[in-house]
Amino acid sequence: MKDLLKLKTSLAEDIENILNAQVKIEAHASALYLAMSSWCDDQGLDNSADFFAKQANEEREHMLKLFNYINNRGGRAISPEVTNIPTDFDSFRGVFEQTLLQEMFVTEQFNNIADKCMKAKDYVTFNFVQWFLAEQVEEEYVARRILELFDVIGEEGTGRWEIDKHLVKVTFSGQE
Amino acid sequence: MICPLAEVEEVFKESFGAVYQCSRKNCYWLEFKDTTTAFKISDFFLFKKTIDAIDIEKMLSDTSRTADFELVMPHRTDRCFILSAQDVLNLREVLAGAKFMIELNSEVKRILRKEAVLASF
Repeated sequence: MKDLLKLKTSLAEDIENILNAQVKIEAHASALYLAMSSWCDDQGLDNSADFFAKQANEEREHMLKLFNYINNRGGRAISPEVTNIPTDFDSFRGVFEQTLLQEMFVTEQFNNIADKCMKAKDYVTFNFVQWFLAEQVEEEYVARRILELFDVIGEEGTGRWEIDKHLVKVTFSGQE
Repeated sequence: MICPLAEVEEVFKESFGAVYQCSRKNCYWLEFKDTTTAFKISDFFLFKKTIDAIDIEKMLSDTSRTADFELVMPHRTDRCFILSAQDVLNLREVLAGAKFMIELNSEVKRILRKEAVLASF
């Protein structure tokens, strides 16, 4: 009997499912950062609003990278439904704490994907997710460094203004 | 009725339904409740996901008359499935059996291809 399955797709079903789940996570992160951007803008934190708007775009790009990969391998990418996005946040610091936790969660998910790929011997997808794993080093570094500004500068007086002013200068120079 | 041009091979058969593969048109034929329906490969697996996602517990516990049956109209077919809870269970069994056999065939073919290539060295 002809192998129709392989003619259609090179992705195993569980790998396709976990990649589609990650598409949803990235879409959720993008919407969450956009909500944070709006909140920061409302609080008069211009640079933070821009920072989160940029983050939202990046997450969407990550989503599309995964989305296109699934389709390119013969799978079927699913445009995700995004729900439960908050519109209000507790505090300036809390927003960045949530960002760091979100990024650590994403890293954990990519680790799980890499682990599944190894077990399924899907080294093509394993190789594909390496880019995301490397990207997560930067994402976590930036979020943690910005969070440290809250301790270094302090929120009293003009502290919040100073933090908002300085957070755009936080960049990741690589691991060399 | 299955297309007369089809070259069908049995994938999986149960007393209440069967799945055949047409290697000429690269599609699957589902035989269920005295009807036959052709599915393209990806549509077949999408149909299985749709059937698997039906909430049977809700069908059984909901007392409204409309909850006794589930209507499924797969895209790119001219078929409308009207399924009772028992039908859903039967259909799931046929589709799960077919999926297993399709994957088994794929795995056997993969090993045979590999052996054939390595034997030629």
